[in-house]
Amino acid sequence: MSKEQGPGMSIIVKTVTRLTVWLILLYGIYIVVHGHLSPGGGFAGGVIIALSFIHLMLAYGKEMALKKLSEGLLGVWESTGGLVFLVIALLGLTAGYFFKNFLPAGEPFHLVSAGTIPLSYIAISVKVWAGLFAIFVALVLLRVDTEQK
Amino acid sequence: MTVYLLALVLFCVGIYGVLRKRNLIKIILGIIIAEHAVLLFFILVGYRLNGRAPILSPDAPITQMVDPLPQALVLTAIVIGLATTALLIALAMRLYGKYGTYDIAKIRELRG
Repeated sequence: MSKEQGPGMSIIVKTVTRLTVWLILLYGIYIVVHGHLSPGGGFAGGVIIALSFIHLMLAYGKEMALKKLSEGLLGVWESTGGLVFLVIALLGLTAGYFFKNFLPAGEPFHLVSAGTIPLSYIAISVKVWAGLFAIFVALVLLRVDTEQK
Repeated sequence: MTVYLLALVLFCVGIYGVLRKRNLIKIILGIIIAEHAVLLFFILVGYRLNGRAPILSPDAPITQMVDPLPQALVLTAIVIGLATTALLIALAMRLYGKYGTYDIAKIRELRG
């Protein structure tokens, strides 16, 4: 209700967001990194990471979130995720065939195991959170565009 | 069997929203509800009583798993549903910017 509040929601929402957004981000990273051991994986973890950014944007307004991560950089991140996934798949050709697991498999049920699968999950998660947040940013900027007409 | 009928009821709720409501946002919500009712039905077909998540773990036996095939199908369908929902919302926002209303009856009157 104060005058110097700025864009975004009330101070209660902002305080709760400031306290919880890092937990949401860390939980998404945990889901991605443990994708080969437990349910979850690249897509689910990427969605949770994108939800943390969307949470920030809903509470603080679009300028604050776009200052942390601009819309031009989002396209770069999304392309990077896709390219890294393709490079991991193509590096399998050096060991035999497409998507071949060229790294050592390691001990089962340990965090560093399963060869290229965790790396592929990380690449997928980068592509998913960048793409999902880009869809949200595009919808937000589209509304601004139609209001100006 | 009862849970399958409940998924059918949820699907009918979504179809009701698509056919009966005038507001474009409510029509999109009806489409989303119907879509997720179908996904829920797929998951329920693959479920078995007292099953656990279909992933290998060191101590649990491999026999008590739910069917992983509908889950993979549903994960893909969720991704595609997300993209189609974003497209529908973008089209609805364009219509609102052009006509200034979400009511489909008024949009039809304003043609031309």
